[in-house]
Amino acid sequence: MTVPTTQEIAVRVEGMSKYYGTFHALRDINLTVARGEKIVVCGPSGSGKSTMIRCINRLEEHNAGSIMVLGTELNDDVGNIDEIRREVGMVFQHFNLFPHMTVLENCVLAPMLVRKMPRAEAEATARRYLEKVRIPEQASKYPGQLSGGQQQRVAIARSLCMQPQIMLFDEPTSALDPEMISEVLDVMVTLASEGMTMICVTHEMGFARRVADRVIFMDAGEIVEEAPPEIFFTSAKSERTQLFLSQVLGH
Amino acid sequence: MEMVVVAPPASGKLEDLKRRFFATPRQAVISLLSLSVIVFLVWKLLNWAVFSAVFDASGGPDACHAASGACWSVIAARWRIIFFGLYPYEEQWRSALACVTVVAMTVLSCIPAFWTGRRIALVWGVGAAVFYVLMKGGLLGLGFVGEEMWGGLALTLFIFVTTCLVGFPLAICLALLRRSELPWISRTTGLIIDGVRSLPLISILFTFAIVLPFALPQWLQGDKLYRVILGSALFFSAYQAEIVRGGMQGVPRGQEEAAMALGLSYWHRISRILLPQAMRNALPATINQFVISFKETSLVIIVGFFEILASGNAAYGTGEWRFAYVEVYAFIAMIYFVFVFSLSRYGAFLERRMSVGER
Repeated sequence: MTVPTTQEIAVRVEGMSKYYGTFHALRDINLTVARGEKIVVCGPSGSGKSTMIRCINRLEEHNAGSIMVLGTELNDDVGNIDEIRREVGMVFQHFNLFPHMTVLENCVLAPMLVRKMPRAEAEATARRYLEKVRIPEQASKYPGQLSGGQQQRVAIARSLCMQPQIMLFDEPTSALDPEMISEVLDVMVTLASEGMTMICVTHEMGFARRVADRVIFMDAGEIVEEAPPEIFFTSAKSERTQLFLSQVLGH
Repeated sequence: MEMVVVAPPASGKLEDLKRRFFATPRQAVISLLSLSVIVFLVWKLLNWAVFSAVFDASGGPDACHAASGACWSVIAARWRIIFFGLYPYEEQWRSALACVTVVAMTVLSCIPAFWTGRRIALVWGVGAAVFYVLMKGGLLGLGFVGEEMWGGLALTLFIFVTTCLVGFPLAICLALLRRSELPWISRTTGLIIDGVRSLPLISILFTFAIVLPFALPQWLQGDKLYRVILGSALFFSAYQAEIVRGGMQGVPRGQEEAAMALGLSYWHRISRILLPQAMRNALPATINQFVISFKETSLVIIVGFFEILASGNAAYGTGEWRFAYVEVYAFIAMIYFVFVFSLSRYGAFLERRMSVGER
């Protein structure tokens, strides 16, 4: 693997630790993500995967180590935090659409308030992305009127409307009924094929195999294994990884 | 085997009544008894309030003494005191116009088409100015009428509306401060809220009206009316702050996280995401608080203001009409009812409207 230059680095995490009280949630995390790279993070529940990606846009505060996102250091500087959040989109397990706004309003809100985009332009952008996630006809509905899969696709479109350079996915399909998972994964695959930098916490191993450049396995707050999918799924080094894989792929 | 098909009972209005009230002989007896009691009471009430009542004020109190029914002539003779209190007689059209202004701006701001910052500000700015100029005068050829002369319905409406206008934003500030991440801010705010809530409204009004002037320099005192309104707004905001906080707690944490992840600033997160949803959750309790506050305006009598209830006392309190207090209170109760009932119905309309898209 070639070492990426600073220009090409999207996220660099060095020696990051995170505590909840005395509980050591993340231990010495080191991770470098190049621009355009797709990372899949997996691991048992409580292993710190979500906490780790939530540190990247400061939904959680890290206690030690450093995080650089697109060349900006993530620290207590509110300006830096705002700058990073503008460029980093996030999709949540429970969609977190704003229930009191229509789908279209959900999509134009941040571009208009944060990027100061005029409404006409923001709406055009929103409709383009709603088209992309194959849901343009639902623009005037409220989130509560949509199915889970549709809501999650709207959530993806809403993030994309900010035209972020990095997308974080926090178990985007875990709250969905089985028949709706593929419609969301299809959108994510399309996004990946267009060169978006993606960090996905997911248990969808099929997706990992198809899309990921690297798969990261976490357990007990540590990165245990890091490998390209073809190696990760066939010849994992760590016993913990092998056990986890046998549990998820076992049936 | 043969199936027996039984037709469902015919469901005419009459059949329905029969089934619900006259199903068994005992039920029929109870129903008839209750019905006769109701008819008797309604007839009694109508007889008192309408058939045997005196409406014409020309006969004076003596006509009422002669009749067996209600003496509505006290209202005909004294309605100006009830509505306008001590406001100078020949200027009372101004007070009436001011009441209409308050009602008009309240109705306007209840219409969804006016729910933009600029329109609301325009309605309230113009409305408040018109009200103030009409009531106080000293401008445009209107004679000067000091706040101590204001009274009746106009004063009740003025105190209520200004209490809400000052108290509501204050409540939102308090609620936001209370959920601050800095413990010394949230704890201090909590102390203030709990402190104000544990005092009776009467003592707060008394303190602001009578005690505060001793503690404040002359230029800070303002008129007694505005100090009283400030006290009642503070009281209102302490309760309303807890209602708003409750509403905020009902908004899932994920909503704010999503807003943060999109890069929204603190004020945008609060104003566009948190508050709209919190207010929707808090609406029933908020309407409740408004209703209570409307009725609590009557407490200002203890610091010497003649709002509508106190003006009512004055209306029958002058010797000749002293016997007619029931009629006066019934009339005032009707006025309260009209306002509070409209408020409640408006709350119900808002709830229906806000539940759009909610499942």
